[in-house]
Amino acid sequence: MTAGREVVVELDQVRKHYGETVALDGVSLEIRAGEAVAVMGPSGCGKSTLLNLIAGLDRPSSGRVVVHGEDLGAMNETGLALFRRRRVGMIFQFFNLIDDLSALDNVALAAQLTGTTAAQARRRALDLLDELGIAGRARMYPAVLSGGERQRVAVARALMNRPAVLLADEPTGALDSHSGEQVMDLLLDLHQIGQTLLLVTHDERLAERCASRVVELADGRVTAERTLESSR
Amino acid sequence: MSAVWGIALAAVRRRRLQSAILAVVVLCSTVAIVVALGLLEASSGPFDRTFAAQRGPHVVATFDRAAVSDALLAETARRPGVEAAAGPYGQSVVTVADTRQSLPPGPLTVVGRPGPGGPVDRVELWAGRWAERPGEIVVNRPVDPVFGDLVGAAVQTVEGLRFTVVGLASSVTRTAEAWVAPAQMEAMKPASAQMLYRFVAAETAAEVRAATAAVTAGLPPSGVLGTQSYLTVKRDVSRAAEAYLPFLAGFGLLGLLVAVLIVANVISGAVVAGQRQIGVLKSLGFTPDQVMAGFLMMVLLPAFAGCLAGTVLGALVSQKLLDLVFAGIGAAIGLGIGWPVYVAALLGVPAVVVLAALVPASRAHRLPAAETIRAGSAPRPGRGQAVQRLLSGSRLPRPVSLGLGLPFARPGRSAMTLAAIVLGVAAVTLATGLFQTMTAYGDTAQRVGRVHSIVHVGRPGQVRPTLDDAAIEALLRSRPGVRHVTANAWIDVRLPGLTSRSMAQFLRGDAASRGDVVVAGRYVAGPGEVAAPSAFMRRFGLRVGDRLTLALGGARTQATIVGEVMDAADDLIIASWSTLTALDPAGRATQYEVGLAPGTDVERFNAAVKAAEPGLYPRAKSQADQHSVAVIGAAALFTVLLGTVATLGVFNTVVLTTRERRRDLAMLKSIGMTPRQVTLMTVTSMALLGVVGGLAGLPIGVASHRVVVLAMLDAAGLGAPAMLLDVWRVAALAALLVAGVAIAVLGAFLPARRAARLTIAGALRTE
Repeated sequence: MTAGREVVVELDQVRKHYGETVALDGVSLEIRAGEAVAVMGPSGCGKSTLLNLIAGLDRPSSGRVVVHGEDLGAMNETGLALFRRRRVGMIFQFFNLIDDLSALDNVALAAQLTGTTAAQARRRALDLLDELGIAGRARMYPAVLSGGERQRVAVARALMNRPAVLLADEPTGALDSHSGEQVMDLLLDLHQIGQTLLLVTHDERLAERCASRVVELADGRVTAERTLESSR
Repeated sequence: MSAVWGIALAAVRRRRLQSAILAVVVLCSTVAIVVALGLLEASSGPFDRTFAAQRGPHVVATFDRAAVSDALLAETARRPGVEAAAGPYGQSVVTVADTRQSLPPGPLTVVGRPGPGGPVDRVELWAGRWAERPGEIVVNRPVDPVFGDLVGAAVQTVEGLRFTVVGLASSVTRTAEAWVAPAQMEAMKPASAQMLYRFVAAETAAEVRAATAAVTAGLPPSGVLGTQSYLTVKRDVSRAAEAYLPFLAGFGLLGLLVAVLIVANVISGAVVAGQRQIGVLKSLGFTPDQVMAGFLMMVLLPAFAGCLAGTVLGALVSQKLLDLVFAGIGAAIGLGIGWPVYVAALLGVPAVVVLAALVPASRAHRLPAAETIRAGSAPRPGRGQAVQRLLSGSRLPRPVSLGLGLPFARPGRSAMTLAAIVLGVAAVTLATGLFQTMTAYGDTAQRVGRVHSIVHVGRPGQVRPTLDDAAIEALLRSRPGVRHVTANAWIDVRLPGLTSRSMAQFLRGDAASRGDVVVAGRYVAGPGEVAAPSAFMRRFGLRVGDRLTLALGGARTQATIVGEVMDAADDLIIASWSTLTALDPAGRATQYEVGLAPGTDVERFNAAVKAAEPGLYPRAKSQADQHSVAVIGAAALFTVLLGTVATLGVFNTVVLTTRERRRDLAMLKSIGMTPRQVTLMTVTSMALLGVVGGLAGLPIGVASHRVVVLAMLDAAGLGAPAMLLDVWRVAALAALLVAGVAIAVLGAFLPARRAARLTIAGALRTE
């Protein structure tokens, strides 16, 4: 179990509002190293906002967000960029790959931003793609890859800099059932080798297969929390 | 309000930045077009306009009164082919005495006329009044305040006549050098009479010859002393303006080309960027025609606003430039830009906008709705991928290599942007070169840095100097800070066999230090030597080494042309003082050109000279040539306009590219690209186009400069001195190359910063 492990993500009374609309209302949450947490809830409950705050893509209106010991509220834009580069990896529902780059270069890009040489970045990217079972498609461009393959490339890119936490926003939401299964297996594998995961999903099956804990959100508040034993 | 109108207005409101860019681009382009067309139109016909306004005579005929009676001459006005005629007016040639008074000494053709108006040759009386009584004279001078102090001056002739100048008038066909009242003329017992004719058909030299033959038919052959066609005068008068015609034409064409390209680029971008919305509208039930109409309206609203404002601004700027360029030729009759220019701008520019919008809009018109939506949401794959693959393996920082690959993802738009930069750099290069050339020409013409003070000798009516010629020169040389002194005597001489009248500038002292540019041969160095401007040499078909005879009064002397100098005058020769001595041993200097050492205060020098000899009238030498100032002003204006338009074109491209790549940029930020790296990447993408554009635009600009300057020099009869052509320096060329990058980077920087500040979460949800 993860109870004694270090806290990787800590949210303390976090509020986020957009004008009059309150997206998060006093959310407190801890995620420990090696945990896989699924955040669930109806549309508009604040799931993606929560993910964006943890990823440093957005800033809380009040409260504290600390990831891997770093208080995101105290960082400027450049600091947040460096934080994202080193500490988190993100997977999106619609993959968000760059169409002009091959799968290999999309993955290598994340490492190149940290100053890794092109050759080194490509070697590691190829290893990752190999581990994810799509090394044969490394030279292909996103337009010719299937949805599942694109999401695998996105996962490889997210893992490129060995993030402290992997954040996934509806990772199977745009996939057919077969591709969805493949991605679920992939996330499960990652969790099992100790990767800290935070999933935002509507998909009960995904949560049950991949997460060790489920956090329920409604109207910007945590309404329930439960631990799942099946996945571990 | 119709649905189409509604979506057009909504689109303009929603795309405020793009609408503003479009409006400003169209505004600048319209100003450039109006100025270019206006100057082209005006420069192609300043003489024609003035000639038409003055109802100038197609032929000025001079008759011998002893052979042809006035009654017979009056009868010629009614002959077939004559539209209107004036005269006969008595005509007499007097010789202005060398009294250092108002007019230069020498022959003066005087005509007796009752007034400046009439059916033909309505001369512009621009100062004073017409001669009404004996002893009054009106002098023909171009409209220029510099001649203003002639009114009231006295004129004395060798024949013993005395006149007072009561007015100044301008006759574009130079029907006389001065006019007196008819009664005065009768008292002068004129030997000849002048008739002024306007013909029904006088477009060509042949028509003028035929019409002239018709009016002189039947008259005693000895009675016709001479005829002068307006076509000859036109060639002469238009020469100054024609010098600037190639420049104006070059810039005008460049301006039109750049403006049309940028407008097309901006419009295409606007429509391409709106393709997704086109698809959405179609899915809602809008017909393809309605969608297209909406989009055309969307671009036409800001474009027409820019066009209107540009036309007004262009009109104001053009008029100011016209006044400068054609000062003295047509200002008095209100030489302005014709309405066709405004109509062309008001109809032509929106037409270009519509044409530019039609191509991409019609493509969207044809596309199925679903495909249009897809086309608008993501770039088509397969573009620029090989380049990106190559760059991703390079050692360049990743934001730089990514930025370098971006232009290849949108080759069409990149090509348009590149074309805009190439033209922008070429325009800036051409303008810079012309600036250098005109400055070099102006500095030479004005003897900038060589002559700092011109000391005039007091004329009758002013305080006369007590010192003689040599003592004045010694006085000037004795002042502290004086480096060189050149004594000048401007005298009208005759050149038998060539012309009855030419201005001769006789020089004494440090003539070589005046800075005259010798195009061929060498400068005047000794007795019996003259130098002549290229225009003079061409006018009379002379070469270096040819001999001239100079005549003044009854004296004659021979001189050899030893050099050809750069000067636009075709009625001037430069000669040594000893040549003047041979013609007039008593000849005196009328002015002195003084060059001062650096740091010497010109005003203090002038005050000291005036205090030492009250009969001297020193003034600081003007450091600017009016025509050069006008051309440099026009070049600067065009450069600013074209530079602005080129920069906005790039700006627009980057804004659109950035908008299309919002998702990519947000993704790059989500994996750790810093705002500075996003800015660097976006700016790099445009800097690449800037470098390529600079490398291509530079030689085009340099070549255009050579063509334009050679044409200008040819039109002005200036020869082709290397100093006006070889104006390029390595540092200047490097700076011009940087201009291409600067245009691109300047245009890219703001939208790049905006891209760097994108809200990642919002952008990534947009799919």
